[in-house]
Amino acid sequence: MKMTAKFLTLLFIATAFISCGDDDNEPVLEAVESKTASNIPAPQTGGQGQPVGGPFTKFSFETGAVTTSDTEWDIAFRGTTIAINGGVVTGTDDEPVRNGNAGASIASGTFASITEASGLTFIQDADGAYAIATGSDNGWYNYNPQVNQIAPISGKVLVIRTHDDKYAKVEVLSYYKDAPAQPDADSESRFYTFNYVYNPNEEQTSLE
Amino acid sequence: MNLNSLLLLFFIGALRVSVFGQEVSVQKDSVLIQDLDEVIVTATRTVRQLSSVPLPVTLISKKQLQKTGVIRLDEILNEQTGIITVADQSGFNGIQIQGISSDYVMILIDGVPLVGRSSGNFDLSRLAVGNIKQIEIVKGPSSSLYGSEALGGVVNIITETPKDASLAGDLSYRFASFNTHDANIHIKQKLNKLGYSFFANTLQSDGYDLRPDVQGQTVNPFENYTFNGQLFYDFSDQLKMFVSGRYYTENQDAVLTVSDQLIEGDSDINETNAHIRFDHQITSKWQLQYEFYYTNYKALEELQNTVSNTLFSQNDYNQNLFRPEIRATYAIKSKSAITVGVGYNHENLDRTFFDDKVIFDSQYGYAQYDFYPWKKLNLILGARFDNHSEYQSQFSPKASFNFKLNDAIALKGSVGTGFKAPDFRQLYFDFTNAAVGYTVLGYNVAIDKVKELEAQGQLSDILFDFEDLETPLQAESSVGYNIGAGYAQGKVKLNLNLFRNDFKNLIDTRAIARKTNGQNVFSYANFDRIYTTGLEVDANYKLSDKVTISGGYQLLYAKDKEKKVALERDEVFARDPKTLQAVILENSDYFGLVNRSRHTANFKIFYEVSKWNFNTNLRINYRTKYGLFDGNGNGIIDDYDTTFVDGYALANLTLNKTFSDKYTLQIGANNLFDYQDEENIPGLAGIQLFTKINFNF
Repeated sequence: MKMTAKFLTLLFIATAFISCGDDDNEPVLEAVESKTASNIPAPQTGGQGQPVGGPFTKFSFETGAVTTSDTEWDIAFRGTTIAINGGVVTGTDDEPVRNGNAGASIASGTFASITEASGLTFIQDADGAYAIATGSDNGWYNYNPQVNQIAPISGKVLVIRTHDDKYAKVEVLSYYKDAPAQPDADSESRFYTFNYVYNPNEEQTSLE
Repeated sequence: MNLNSLLLLFFIGALRVSVFGQEVSVQKDSVLIQDLDEVIVTATRTVRQLSSVPLPVTLISKKQLQKTGVIRLDEILNEQTGIITVADQSGFNGIQIQGISSDYVMILIDGVPLVGRSSGNFDLSRLAVGNIKQIEIVKGPSSSLYGSEALGGVVNIITETPKDASLAGDLSYRFASFNTHDANIHIKQKLNKLGYSFFANTLQSDGYDLRPDVQGQTVNPFENYTFNGQLFYDFSDQLKMFVSGRYYTENQDAVLTVSDQLIEGDSDINETNAHIRFDHQITSKWQLQYEFYYTNYKALEELQNTVSNTLFSQNDYNQNLFRPEIRATYAIKSKSAITVGVGYNHENLDRTFFDDKVIFDSQYGYAQYDFYPWKKLNLILGARFDNHSEYQSQFSPKASFNFKLNDAIALKGSVGTGFKAPDFRQLYFDFTNAAVGYTVLGYNVAIDKVKELEAQGQLSDILFDFEDLETPLQAESSVGYNIGAGYAQGKVKLNLNLFRNDFKNLIDTRAIARKTNGQNVFSYANFDRIYTTGLEVDANYKLSDKVTISGGYQLLYAKDKEKKVALERDEVFARDPKTLQAVILENSDYFGLVNRSRHTANFKIFYEVSKWNFNTNLRINYRTKYGLFDGNGNGIIDDYDTTFVDGYALANLTLNKTFSDKYTLQIGANNLFDYQDEENIPGLAGIQLFTKINFNF
């Protein structure tokens, strides 16, 4: 892993140098951002047989923060459900209106191994179905009834096209507050911690 | 009785003489006789001397049952090399042989199968050991003789037959920790043509609680009763009849809390077995056996919500098996024989979560040729054909050999196939979990039920083609290989066996549809291919006339082949506990299937002082760590999982002292060092002390 990371860093630097050395007529690309978002709260009401409700917590990759904007958001969290700003409402209570062109694709691999968004099929939220499927083992998480815990499925990387046609990749690290390595019965749930890489250049699909 | 007393006096006298006269030869002779006496019937369905059987077998004698003071079958099996008992969520103690789980091990009493499993697991603690002559365990597939379920092995419980004209028997009472009472009566007599035996047992316990901080007990109070009556009648020297009726009943309290509401009730198990067999010696070479067998297993559980005073749940299970079979054995020469058998199997099950009572019918036939092409080489060739109403016909061949290298060493080997028919649940289940909302459907009802759910608007997505479910579910099948050697010379006995079992078409659940509530609809499918492989070693050494020591060891690798392929393709991930990021796993990170320890071992010492009528034994069983379940959601037990149960050893100690040759006082301790792991092994109570008095007449 360390070797790969070093190699990737070198490659990145080399690529950066090469791009810097390119013809001045080419538009200068903004640097790809690699960050961690911690403890994004995702409260919900209902569940356990009752209708699920409550507002989603919206997140923007451009600002790297939670937002209350009705338009400038990319993904949103409520309980284990992740909505994207693209497509139409699925039909549950209190969903935000989709007004962007976001799409989602779930890729398999380590976070570092997903380097390109091109070639992937992006789907959008639709009536009755989230682009990132809900339910254990269907989308991003696994529910273990033996310990009553939600864990992100390791090796699943969410590749997101943002509401304004930029690309990002997300690896959810934890669903529990302060991302404990081993959550226990006292761990507070509905707090997302995730790594993400965001390419702020429109239509640029590179994710490294 | 007079004659008996005389004999007794004579016997005591002889013993005294031998003790004082240091006549060791008498002892040696008796050991020899005992060895010759070791015969088993399970491996070939004919009486065979243990050492000549070409298969890996374990024989547990009545003597061992008595000396160790065990009361249930699971306790003694757990002390045998390569065999462990594994408790499921409901505390049922099933057996694992060569790394193969309880679902694939057949349990027989006097050659006929017991039914009544919970999710495939057979609870061996249901079986009292009081009237057992011996327990025979044949490891590896035996479907060539026994059909479905005999993949991992066969456990055959042989009950005692009366031999003496005078009334003989045992009366015993045992008191143990947790207010546990166990009482037995066993009588038997063989008059001229008529023989009979009667056995009754009761076991009652308050259960125990390993976690007083949690509401409810770990094991709830229970009581059960076993009755077994047998009748033997010789119409002539040629025609003999055996009739056996057995009844078992258990009642256990059931208590749980759901959303802080106390749910109470009880669960009942009732089991009936009726077995009639005629042994017909037509000529000196031809022998026929006609057998009729019926068994019924009922389990009922009813729970009441004590707060709202309403019925919380009711779970009924009622299974019947009826099986007539005819067997013929033709003795070609003194040692060679052909055995053929035909039979009919009718099985039905009516239970909660089934729409209707379901019925299985099958017809089968088998043949076996047991012969000596050369006087040192014994070959057994056999095959069985099963025709079934609900799944494809099965053909199960098997071949084995025993080569007597010299007086001390014998080489053994066998290749055989085994299968397990899809069970009722895998075909007809219709269950929806009320609390979480997922649904499990049997394979044969899945299409209709999915259509129903869709019509009700409960589905958001169907994940399979209906055509996929039109080909019938296949039986699970295996090929087992065993090769080994046995050494017996003087005071030493050694056995070595290498085994490999390749399973295919294992039935497991997969999601077939998504529900609008976000949960899945599951159904069964054939997809797994697994293997178990390893070696086992058994050693027995008679240190002196007083001391015998024995030891056993099993090395085991049990893995899923599909998972190994996925690992090779870098498709399996785990989460690094420090960075929480996903990392790719290698095959070397793969530990294996759940509940399999890499190493298991046992050590036993038996110490006997004849002149004091005293004997004692200490048995230690050890298993290394094992995975309890996949904790990190990647489908395998791997080095990143934190769900391992630490390795542990259990020691059991028993002391026996006989008075006046009739009364035996036994005291002992199971789990002597009080090992507990309340979180991971709730079925393991702490130290249990016991004392028993047995009156033998």
